[in-house]
Amino acid sequence: MIVAARRLTKYFQLKGTGIVGGGLSLKAVDDISIDIKEGSIVGVVGESGSGKSTLGRLLMALLQPTSGQVLFDIPDDVLAEYDKYIETNQADKCRKIEEEYSIFRSKGKAMKEMRKQMGMVFQDPYSSLDPRMRVEDIITEPMLATGYLDPEKARKRCLELLDEVGLPRDFAFRYPHELSGGQRQRVALARGISTLPKFLVLDEPTSALDVSVQAQILSLLKKIRSRYNISMLLITHNIAVIAYMADFVNVMYAGKVMESGVKRDVILNPTHPYTIALISAVPGRARMRQRIILQGDPPNLVFPPSGCRFHPRCPVAFELCGWTADEVATDLDYLVQGKYYTTFQGNTQVIPKDALSILIKGTNSIQLSEMIASEREKMRSLMSIANIKDTEEGVLISLSHFVTPKMYNLDNGKKVSCLLYSPEVMATQKGAISGN
Amino acid sequence: MQQETAEAGRWENLKLSISVFMANKSAVVGLIIVLVYLIDALIMQFDPMLLGIHHPDVLVPNFLNPVPLPPSPQHILGTTYPGIDLLTSILKAIRIDLAYSFFVVAVGASVGAVIGIVSAWASGMFDEVIMRITDIVFSIPYLILALAVGFILGRSLWHMSIALAITWWPLYARYARSQTLSTKEYTFIEAAKAAGVGRTTIMFRHILPNVLPPIFIQISLDLGSIMVIFSTLAFIGFIPSANIPELGYLTSLGLNFVQTAPWALIFPGLFITIFALAVNLLGDGLRDVIDPRRRG
Repeated sequence: MIVAARRLTKYFQLKGTGIVGGGLSLKAVDDISIDIKEGSIVGVVGESGSGKSTLGRLLMALLQPTSGQVLFDIPDDVLAEYDKYIETNQADKCRKIEEEYSIFRSKGKAMKEMRKQMGMVFQDPYSSLDPRMRVEDIITEPMLATGYLDPEKARKRCLELLDEVGLPRDFAFRYPHELSGGQRQRVALARGISTLPKFLVLDEPTSALDVSVQAQILSLLKKIRSRYNISMLLITHNIAVIAYMADFVNVMYAGKVMESGVKRDVILNPTHPYTIALISAVPGRARMRQRIILQGDPPNLVFPPSGCRFHPRCPVAFELCGWTADEVATDLDYLVQGKYYTTFQGNTQVIPKDALSILIKGTNSIQLSEMIASEREKMRSLMSIANIKDTEEGVLISLSHFVTPKMYNLDNGKKVSCLLYSPEVMATQKGAISGN
Repeated sequence: MQQETAEAGRWENLKLSISVFMANKSAVVGLIIVLVYLIDALIMQFDPMLLGIHHPDVLVPNFLNPVPLPPSPQHILGTTYPGIDLLTSILKAIRIDLAYSFFVVAVGASVGAVIGIVSAWASGMFDEVIMRITDIVFSIPYLILALAVGFILGRSLWHMSIALAITWWPLYARYARSQTLSTKEYTFIEAAKAAGVGRTTIMFRHILPNVLPPIFIQISLDLGSIMVIFSTLAFIGFIPSANIPELGYLTSLGLNFVQTAPWALIFPGLFITIFALAVNLLGDGLRDVIDPRRRG
């Protein structure tokens, strides 16, 4: 593996003034493991704010993770050993391997050596090039900073790199503002590959460019990959780009990987409900698949949903997916005050009691059960209602417990983080259904 | 050959800079006016006889005919009380005003810029403390401080300049800090980190070249305001002796004759205003040249 991330987590501390907001953190990347094989292009797709770019920066060691490790250029057998140690919680043995391969342990000279092996191309070529440096200085900077070449040779190599990325040599003495967006991105790419890295992170390399220029940059990237066998992590929100470029795909949502696998399997045959919805939203594919429109907004990552992070928007969520009293109470309140107003006459009160129970005042269990029974197919949160009971205070609704999904391996080599594919959960679930 | 291309590139660049500046007509006017002021100051410093002036450091009163006279062939801009020729005194005064304004801006800008950049770069608690101190100093009105300094240290042009420099550095500290903070957030800083460039090198290669030019523009814009404030202080009497050629002081001499001899008030005041205006126009033109993103 050229890069192997294990249980990578990044929480950004929110700056609070005094009491308010202190100690809160935004969970941008939460417990992500990712493998990047030599010479492969691994795509990361996801909507804005799903933590794609944070993941890329963690893999480049531009950010320090809250926990987790990124191992660089690690032999497969050592990695297998490492995974075994993690599973069996042998921290001291893990540490020994980390000391050798972790990108976060390196300092000073070792870090420069590491930087030589890694490159990055950023999203916006208008801000990723220093406006006060000439193209030559921009491209030679990584070579000089890491001591890859001496200044004389670096200048020579800069001209070769300009040929490589399809720019005229006299661009070396121009300033970025004299270049167009596509030309700038070529310069950024030349900078990224100047030290012949083994691993290149492409953070939305085409999203700031015109469509015609996007295609040029993508085919240039492919050419470079085939010539130098550079492994790439391609971060993008554009499924078409992934479909064209990547070998493997990771689908991210709210800081978690939802599904990962070989490109064909993920894009043509999505498994996770989120991936299905995401792929169905790609323009032009509507004919082939019914478009699924997700309700609601991406979650607030300061207080992410419990259980599966996708469950509040999931069209097939069921009782174990992570419903909390707050979510169910909001939906119940909406029904009671809205659609069923005539039944309840507006004198009911919905009060979340604790994490898994809700108290409803001013009604009885029969009316409520009826409403819930007729709405639970459409309003998935009502699925989690396990018990409705009349008490002295009012109707007490208790919810079923929930299970947080792990990455489950499927037969075709895909990994999916959805309870529908968890062998244990589904086994008990089937029992429960037949029991009914 | 490569060296030649680089050389040619630099020359091309200079040509471009000049043409960008020349395209801004008002900036060219500003530059010409500022140059005239500078040349006058230099002549006064090194060879005042060139303009037929014998005593460049003092005003020459004429008590035989103290009442202001209107402009005439003998006194092109007229005279002011007590019988001082306005043209020659203004020529003398420009040197003094210019010198002290430069001093105030240079001290204020260098102290402020260093404090602001270091504060933004260090960030955290240090930044917080430094900025609160800056706020405190910023809240002191320059007139009050100048009067206090004058009262304690004695009235002199130097003390006046020091008081102004003390009230002026927080402006630059804030400006430099905000510039540094916004530059720090650019992706090219992250790109430099990803390329393995060290913290100090990033500071000198990426941050400073992007932060300093706007500060230089600010300096050129401020020169005018400082001159106005400097002459204001002189105008309200913050001047050690009665015969120092200073534009604000010259204006105050004509104050009592504003109804009968308006020129005695207008001409010195005009020279202050024109300078402030010219420097502003020049600063605008410089901004176009210095900011590479503005060169279409």
